[in-house]
Amino acid sequence: MANSDKTATPVNSMPRSSGQGRALLPIQRVVDLLRMPLLALATAFVLGAVVIFLTSGRLETVGEAYWGLLRGAFLKERGFSESLVAAIPYVFLSLGLAVGFKTGLFNIGVEGQFYMGAIAAAWAGQAIQGVPTIINLPLVLLAGALGGAIWAGIPGYLKAKTGAHEVISTMMMNYVAFRLTEFLISGPLRAQGAASTIQTPRISPGAELWALWDIPARLADPLNALGVGLVLGCLAWLIARAVSRRGQGSGVRGQAAGGKLQTASGDTQYAIRGTSFVVRHSSLIIAAAVALLAFLALPPLTRLWWPFTDRYDRLHLGLVLAVLAAVGVWWLLWKTTVGFELRTVGANPNAARYAGMSITRNVVLGMALSGALAGLAGTVEVVGVSICRCLPLFFSSGYGFDSIAIALLGRNNPFGILASAFLFGAMRNGADLMELSSGVSKYIISLIQALVLLFVAAPAVVRWLYRIKGAARADEAPLTRGWGG
Amino acid sequence: MPPALQATGVIKRFPGVLANDHVDFTLAQGEIHALLGENGAGKSTLMNILYGLYQPDAGQISVNGQLVKIVSPHDAIARGIGMVHQHFMLVPPLTVTENIMLGQESLMGATKVFGRLAMLDRRTAAGRIRELSRQYGLAVDPDATVGDLPVGAQQRVEIIKALYRAAEILILDEPTAVLTPQEADELFVIMRGMVKQGKSIVFITHKLREVFAVADTISVMRAGAMVGSVKPAQATRELLAEMMVGRKVMLAIDKSDAHPGAVVLQTDGLQVLDDRRHVTVDGVSLTVRSGEILGVAGVQGNGQTELAEALTGLRRLAGGKMTLNDHDATRVTPRQLVEAGVGHVPEDRHKHGLVLAFPVRDNIVLCTYYRPPNSHGVALDYAAIERQAAELVRVFDVRTPSIHTTTAALSGGNQQKVIVARELSRMAGQGAAPDRRGAAPLLIASQPTRGLDVGSIEFIHRRIVEARDRGAAVLLISAELDEIMSLSDRIAVIYKGHILATVDAKTATREQLGLLMAGVAPAVTQPGHKEGGRG
Repeated sequence: MANSDKTATPVNSMPRSSGQGRALLPIQRVVDLLRMPLLALATAFVLGAVVIFLTSGRLETVGEAYWGLLRGAFLKERGFSESLVAAIPYVFLSLGLAVGFKTGLFNIGVEGQFYMGAIAAAWAGQAIQGVPTIINLPLVLLAGALGGAIWAGIPGYLKAKTGAHEVISTMMMNYVAFRLTEFLISGPLRAQGAASTIQTPRISPGAELWALWDIPARLADPLNALGVGLVLGCLAWLIARAVSRRGQGSGVRGQAAGGKLQTASGDTQYAIRGTSFVVRHSSLIIAAAVALLAFLALPPLTRLWWPFTDRYDRLHLGLVLAVLAAVGVWWLLWKTTVGFELRTVGANPNAARYAGMSITRNVVLGMALSGALAGLAGTVEVVGVSICRCLPLFFSSGYGFDSIAIALLGRNNPFGILASAFLFGAMRNGADLMELSSGVSKYIISLIQALVLLFVAAPAVVRWLYRIKGAARADEAPLTRGWGG
Repeated sequence: MPPALQATGVIKRFPGVLANDHVDFTLAQGEIHALLGENGAGKSTLMNILYGLYQPDAGQISVNGQLVKIVSPHDAIARGIGMVHQHFMLVPPLTVTENIMLGQESLMGATKVFGRLAMLDRRTAAGRIRELSRQYGLAVDPDATVGDLPVGAQQRVEIIKALYRAAEILILDEPTAVLTPQEADELFVIMRGMVKQGKSIVFITHKLREVFAVADTISVMRAGAMVGSVKPAQATRELLAEMMVGRKVMLAIDKSDAHPGAVVLQTDGLQVLDDRRHVTVDGVSLTVRSGEILGVAGVQGNGQTELAEALTGLRRLAGGKMTLNDHDATRVTPRQLVEAGVGHVPEDRHKHGLVLAFPVRDNIVLCTYYRPPNSHGVALDYAAIERQAAELVRVFDVRTPSIHTTTAALSGGNQQKVIVARELSRMAGQGAAPDRRGAAPLLIASQPTRGLDVGSIEFIHRRIVEARDRGAAVLLISAELDEIMSLSDRIAVIYKGHILATVDAKTATREQLGLLMAGVAPAVTQPGHKEGGRG
């Protein structure tokens, strides 16, 4: 539009190196980032208190309810770890939503993809037998991710090719997924010989995601110890590489500080008192050392001392996977060309096309990644949490819809999502004790969560409530576009 | 006689910007007062204050010597102030009469008892419109549907709408932006006529030529302040440009003769459909050679948008052929053009050219993010990207607080500089980018300076000429005749999707091009430019 630049704020007159951008103090940036979500959260709890007061007629009930919520979520026995257990699927699902949002897609079908991931994992878990965990578990995780990815990829393809809006098609796919899993559980995949319960067969032991208390026993198997060593080695390699890359950017400073220089090939050049020598492939050496150390030392060490001893604690390794997934999504979205394309397509598809990116490919990829993460959520529930290590009929979750609020509260930022997922996990976990101790229906939690969603989705309301003047426009970029957009 | 409209000491602040800084403005009775200024100089803010859309933070406004407070457009209209906005405020499916009555409906006397359900009295209104149309020479048919009218006629409807509401003072906001030179001249005649009959007119523009053609007084604003007022007789184009920009400006681009080389882009009988599947480009054959600028002139909406999109792979060809450096490029994709080092400054910088939510840094590598040095494998190399962005921001004088600033926060001129920096820097053989496959570089620039201020226009024009001098072939598509005439080596005129003629820029006259832009085919086509035919 010829006229549109008139409305933009002119920075013409500004001196070059002042104001915005990186110049802000880190602490100010953090405050800026956290302000709106925290205000939304606080407002929702205040309004929740008002509703509790109005329905119960007693002011004390408000205190009892929130105290009960707090105790249930953190203070009671296993409260904290149960909150984490509930947060794990939330993390995967909201990461999935965030990837969708960043690609300009509103994947409202994560619940269905969760089910498809769960059923795919349940099938793969019982189909693959007699293989060590190090091979079995990744295969099952892959199956679950694929189940979700395919289920989300279909609406993605339909959107890219025909313009069918993903909100409608993923919502429809939800119902198909619900009925399809019911059919599979009660029909083809039903466990033979099981008495009254209708469920899939138990997955093979190698496919189980270990509970934390169980780790010393699991590590007794040398194959498992080897697997853990390899995984830790890979992680050490990635971290070492990332650190050495960062070192390159500020080579001079690195030299001044530690007498150590990084070169392009991952070699580390040491300079001590004028003489310098190069350690080739230093990251690989670090990785190998870590792997070996873990393989040899972890089994005896964990046998000697291990913090998790409670056999009824359900906290499992999915927690580590969830954190890794958050880091992975962050890296993918902001540090790779793949993420650059996804975000460009999400922010301005016309510019993406102009720049030579394929809209079709990126929309399908964005949906598939989103669905894969949702599928992983279902997978960890089956292989890490479910008591029968299987998928029972009437396996109810409701995680998917909460996750929309979590992704928005976390501002589609992977680390924000880790925090908000934990918060929602705690609320979900604490709700029962709240009901028990105060008589307030646990559905008040849904009300509070809905209010959070409302305030986060409509920041203007919060801004008006607290008289905050206009925030950066980019924060309120539309999360999804209209029909055929 | 007291001045028709006077503003003294007007101050208006927006968050972070002082849009009007103690502005004084006096419109004498019966004069045409041109208001000049770059984008963001505060012209529109001042006019919006006078029209009651904004309230000033300080300052006084008087109409006909009487101190007033204008609280709304309604109020402004009641005081005889009318405004014609750059973007028309018309309802396309309604007739001219209905549009003009809108908001001030005349009702049939007998039905008035029904209040809001009374019947409209179109006949009386139409009669009044015919009267105004005769009186001021504003030819319109009251019964025509507005959506069917050409842009010039729609503008006349807007002017009549203001007159119908008994406006004595008219504010015209960039009225000539949508007109051909001839239509603009007609508008000036009408404006002269209105002034003779006692109206006073504020005429906002950024085209210097028009100011001399029609204004009685010229006021110039810069950075929120009134720089001064002069009479046309005492002013020169150079003086006005200097007042607008605050420094000496080269109005005429210094350019040497073109040295056309090999054919870079050739199209043969291009046919392109628009979104409604109408043929909008019909049989366009063009040749662009290395080292020359081919300008495509034409009034907006004659197929330029679709032509540019087809040439850059954004729109599929319905017919015809296209070659780029002797390779068939009929089904070329945007990515292939990036690979071939073809630069493309798109017509709509917000739609295609930029991702406004991204920082400047990311927009600099929008087309080349996927290849070294910007990335290795899938990993983006932000250190390299930031080095490149910082360098281009410096070379192209992009005024931004930092390369991490959101592009949406930049002014239009600086946003456009980001695009020009990106496109020119990645063109083959132009500085940083390697000369891929030995291809001669091509730049396709659509409306590269639309809506920009004089300073930015000068800057971008100079870069385009520099690219040409380094051997680039340039296809310049623009609705600004001044831009076409000052930059091009040859000029093709497009009208309703056809190239009516291609003429030598040295011998072309404004009148000749204006006639072509209005669709009047030349009696004799110049020899030696056989691509001028209708395909």
